[in-house]
Amino acid sequence: MKILIVEDEPKTGEYLRQGLTEAGLVADLARDGWDGLQLARGGGYDLVILDVMLPGLDGWGVLRELRAGGVDVPVLFLTARDQIDDRVKGLELGADDYLVKPFAFAELLARARTLLRRGRTTVEPTLLTAADLELDLLRRRARRAGRAIDLTAKEFALLELFLRRQGEVLPRGLIASLVWDMNFDSDTNVIDVAVRRLRAKVDDDFQPRLIRTVRGMGYVLEVPA
Amino acid sequence: MNPSLTARISLLFAIGAALVLLLLGWVVARAVDAHFVEMDRHELDGKLALVRNLLARAQQREALAALPRQLDDALVGHHHLAVALIAPDGATHFASDGGRVPRALLTASPGGAARVWHWHEGDRHWRGLAADAASGVPGLAPHRVVLALDITHHERFMAEFRHALAWSVALAMLFTAALGWAATRAGLQPLRRITALAENLSASHLHQRLPEAPLPAEIRALAAAFNTMLARLEDSFRRLSEFSADLAHELRTPLSNLMTQTQVALTRARTLEEYRELLGSNLEEYERLARMTGDMLFLAQADNRLLEPRREPVALAAEVDKLFEFYDALAADRGVHLVRQGSADAMADRGMVRRALSNLLSNALRHCPADGTVVVALSRAAGTTRVEVANPGEIAAELLPRLFERFHTGDPARRISGEGAGLGLAIARSIARMHGGDLVARNERGQAVFTLTLP
Repeated sequence: MKILIVEDEPKTGEYLRQGLTEAGLVADLARDGWDGLQLARGGGYDLVILDVMLPGLDGWGVLRELRAGGVDVPVLFLTARDQIDDRVKGLELGADDYLVKPFAFAELLARARTLLRRGRTTVEPTLLTAADLELDLLRRRARRAGRAIDLTAKEFALLELFLRRQGEVLPRGLIASLVWDMNFDSDTNVIDVAVRRLRAKVDDDFQPRLIRTVRGMGYVLEVPA
Repeated sequence: MNPSLTARISLLFAIGAALVLLLLGWVVARAVDAHFVEMDRHELDGKLALVRNLLARAQQREALAALPRQLDDALVGHHHLAVALIAPDGATHFASDGGRVPRALLTASPGGAARVWHWHEGDRHWRGLAADAASGVPGLAPHRVVLALDITHHERFMAEFRHALAWSVALAMLFTAALGWAATRAGLQPLRRITALAENLSASHLHQRLPEAPLPAEIRALAAAFNTMLARLEDSFRRLSEFSADLAHELRTPLSNLMTQTQVALTRARTLEEYRELLGSNLEEYERLARMTGDMLFLAQADNRLLEPRREPVALAAEVDKLFEFYDALAADRGVHLVRQGSADAMADRGMVRRALSNLLSNALRHCPADGTVVVALSRAAGTTRVEVANPGEIAAELLPRLFERFHTGDPARRISGEGAGLGLAIARSIARMHGGDLVARNERGQAVFTLTLP
């Protein structure tokens, strides 16, 4: 999976590349709009992470040129908070997702993975599993170690998200956005409580513990090695 | 340049006084003049009667001839009176005091009825009368009697009167101008005080007020308005500086946490797990800072009208139900019930309204006692949509007016705990006002009720 980062702020760009590389992705970094456009046109990337504020050709310009040239690589753009209409403008120009700076890296990673996954046609599984936990998407039933677990609709959606993204750290903001459709900085306490209650049902009486808190980052469901 | 108020009022005073005095002088002069005319006419009539009487008594021509002597005797001491008697044949039968009779008198026409007229020869002024008078001699045509009164001294008096009047008017103008100047200066004194106060006004003197009680009624309204403006300025300024102080304080807490824990961690070698713990803890502080600056920026943009909410039909019942789902876990955890009543639509920005409602619900949940019920009532009447969020437990009276201020969290001690930076209600109100609505809070029957209105 190859990702192109177009970001002029040196520190941000370097950390993004490091973070994405360490997450098992291949990441290239362009420092301005023209370089970014050139690389994106020729390089066969699976995703472009595009800063809006760039010297030379700005992010909109890069995006417009890319789409005009028939390059339909998924684009995730990064925007500053005081640019209110950016979101609308970006999506109109053909961007696929956006993040408002400052953002959590885990959120960027999660959204990038979503976009990378989008292009691939995979057979939708009807049963999600992790260790002895089973989630039957058709019958809307959850079982662990053969015992039925009673979940509310949102708890089910939350567990489904965790299982689909096994091993990925899911930041609270992303969970709020994907499970409850809350796209603003809401009371993050709510997510903590919701995850705690889910854990009480799924993890508390069982071994091993599957849902883990990653300090400062969010939550991850993974089967301990 | 506009003439000063003092100059204008002084000029007005002077012109007014001059007009009044001139009018008065004119009336008095007219009256005195009329009185003189009346007096002169009276005297002329008296002398005419005398001459007529003497003439009528002269029944022979000899008696007529003696008439001049009789007239001379009768007129002794009347220096200011000239008399001429003209015989029917045109000869001057008698002229008093020789040359002292004015020439005009001898050629004057009688003009029928006895008519008083006025003329002057050289520097002498005369008032005269000509009339026919029948003598006692039978068959003789009437004589003509001409009388003239020297009224030079009257004229001189009138001239002096006018002179005195002119001086009086001039003096009165000066005096009233001075009076007007003084009165205006005294009257405008409070204005100068306001000016002085305004000139010396600076941020550190905003507590100053004009004393309203000793001011004249005309200025009091101005002073009151000025004081109100000062009060508003002081309030805004106080809030702004409190806000800056709060902001600095809010930023300082996470920053000092970051610095202290990083410094402590670096004082000696730590295990990997400890470093991980430190970075995680730092991350939490960074996120707090990021969220706070984001919220602050939102509020600043809302205050400066940089955010234009979109207008789309929003089914509030659906939004509330969605938020209930979101807060369901938290509510269940705290043993709080969530209930929605009614439904209503509004033309609003969905995302912003959701955020405002979310902040209100979050606040209600935070303050609702266990086993209490948070009720969200939706209604629409007279073009206004109302969302009432009520939870048991009243808001302390002293907190009510400050509830929507930034960084207000109800309890000063809780500020540091990190449970919301106290911007939620301020943001909710900003969103309401941005839409042309409002957000108010009140206590009602043991409940804290927040009412959000949207057009």
